[in-house]
Amino acid sequence: MEKKKHIGSKAIILLVIIYLMLPLVMTLVYSLFKEWIDVVPTGFSIAAYAELFGDSAFWMAIGRTIIISVLPIFLCTVFVLLTMYVIVVYHPEWDRFMQILCTIPYAIQGVILPICVLSLYTSAPKPFSDRMVMLVATYMVVILPYIYQGIKNNLTGVGAGRLIEAAQMLGASKLFAFFRVVIPNIMSGVTVSVMLAMAIVFGDFVIINTLAGGHFTTAQMYMYDVMKKSGQRTCAVIVVLFVVTLLISGGAFLLQGRQGKRKERG
Amino acid sequence: MAYIEFQNIDKFYGKNHVLKGINLNIEKGDFVTLLGPSGCGKSTLLRCLAGLEQTSSGKIILDKEDITHKDPKDRNIGMVFQHYSLFPNMTVKENLAFGLKLQKLPAAEIEKRVKDSIEMVELIGKEDEYPASLSGGQQQRVALARGIVMRPKVLLLDEPLSAIDAKLRKSLQTSIREIHKELGLTSVFVTHDQDEAMVMSDVINLFHDGVIEQSGNPVDIYTKPETSFAAGFIGNYNILKPEEMKKLTGKEWQGDVAIRPETFLLSNTPITSGESYKMQGVILDRVTRGNVLRYKILVNDVEVQADLLFRSASMYQIGDSVQVALANHNCVCL
Repeated sequence: MEKKKHIGSKAIILLVIIYLMLPLVMTLVYSLFKEWIDVVPTGFSIAAYAELFGDSAFWMAIGRTIIISVLPIFLCTVFVLLTMYVIVVYHPEWDRFMQILCTIPYAIQGVILPICVLSLYTSAPKPFSDRMVMLVATYMVVILPYIYQGIKNNLTGVGAGRLIEAAQMLGASKLFAFFRVVIPNIMSGVTVSVMLAMAIVFGDFVIINTLAGGHFTTAQMYMYDVMKKSGQRTCAVIVVLFVVTLLISGGAFLLQGRQGKRKERG
Repeated sequence: MAYIEFQNIDKFYGKNHVLKGINLNIEKGDFVTLLGPSGCGKSTLLRCLAGLEQTSSGKIILDKEDITHKDPKDRNIGMVFQHYSLFPNMTVKENLAFGLKLQKLPAAEIEKRVKDSIEMVELIGKEDEYPASLSGGQQQRVALARGIVMRPKVLLLDEPLSAIDAKLRKSLQTSIREIHKELGLTSVFVTHDQDEAMVMSDVINLFHDGVIEQSGNPVDIYTKPETSFAAGFIGNYNILKPEEMKKLTGKEWQGDVAIRPETFLLSNTPITSGESYKMQGVILDRVTRGNVLRYKILVNDVEVQADLLFRSASMYQIGDSVQVALANHNCVCL
């Protein structure tokens, strides 16, 4: 009876995996074969990938995507860390306001945010009207809940207030204690949040398309352009983007796993 | 002049008056306990001394110096926290060396002090382990070592044993007391456990509702409670009203009277010794408390509790009639 249950649960998991992987596998197959007019595709070729990797515009697009991912994530993380320092050390009662503030981005539909940003800042003085600044700031808003929640959970988990007090009793200032004692202890958690945020920004098309349009080609925009020319190449772009996102997420899960193991040992 | 002086300390949290004009002197080398129930202000006073809380008014003097508004880092006070507060990313050795490095001591001096402290708390061999791999008792020993490695003027212990099991707690009580004596420290210990306070302290300050209810050495605190609260908190005293005392002894009393449970004499046969009051009672209930049996007895319509050493489980059964005697000097007027 127990064995049957075991087989049943395994079968369900297998079905879910197939269901989730099927579109990706099909995309991969489509990117590797020239023709697919029968049941089995024909004309195996890596030409789409060769073209893609030989196109400097693609690498530029990937590079831009990484830059517009890294910059807002870095800035957002620094701002949240500094804010949490003030909250943990001086005003713990302010955390509920921070919590509310960081929940708001969840409630905003993807397309509304960039449209609002555009209408508010297009005619604003420089640097606010700069598309790059708008883009970075908008992404900072989008990823704020993920960064905040990750940092906050980790601060609570390590008992940041208590650690700072202990460090103070050993001769450290509050600021020194926060950066020398607390941050090293939450670093793996922060990294997980950062990677999740990176995956979100990497996968965005709506915000980048609305705010930057054709002026600033990212990987997503590049893919949109390629779609008009070749289906096979589009599939290759999707596969490459998937692999990049997978690597980022894999890194996040790896770190999460390590953190979990350390907690288990504790 | 005392080594530590608290002068008229008041502390408010909003409208909540947590410390009400505390005046307390602590002599150098004493092991002083702040004892009281949760929320009585004992930990707040300790944190004011540490500098982790600011007083609303009043002065704190340490070694003739006004430290009321000094930062914790400038007070040279060591502290052991209830939840250890060890740095998880540092090994035992690194935890101990943290403060010494901040003082920019030479590496050899740091090495020596860390080694000495580890030896003192009997953690040799654990130097390179991380806190997460240590047991609760071992972590608290590291916290203790970290508290003394700085050679502080005062060592503060904020309920350091409350998260530790009973057996280990007893062993750590002894360790803390020994280290205190060996290093000639001045220690201020916070606890809500009266037994722990009795075992460890030179002086006990009993807190209640933001004021010090009574101060004294453990024997005085135990045998001469000055208020109903002190009698109730310290020794499981029977606190009887004058009318109850009249029923019990047949004479008039003014004010409440506290009687320790172990001062009652119980016997199956009439008691002929020179006790002041001799009565008859009925056993209502019996509770085993390790080496002591606690009886609830109805004597002249008054319920009292009496403790006897647990020599035999069949000493008195519920419903038995017993002879009860009580000496006059064991009736403490409050």
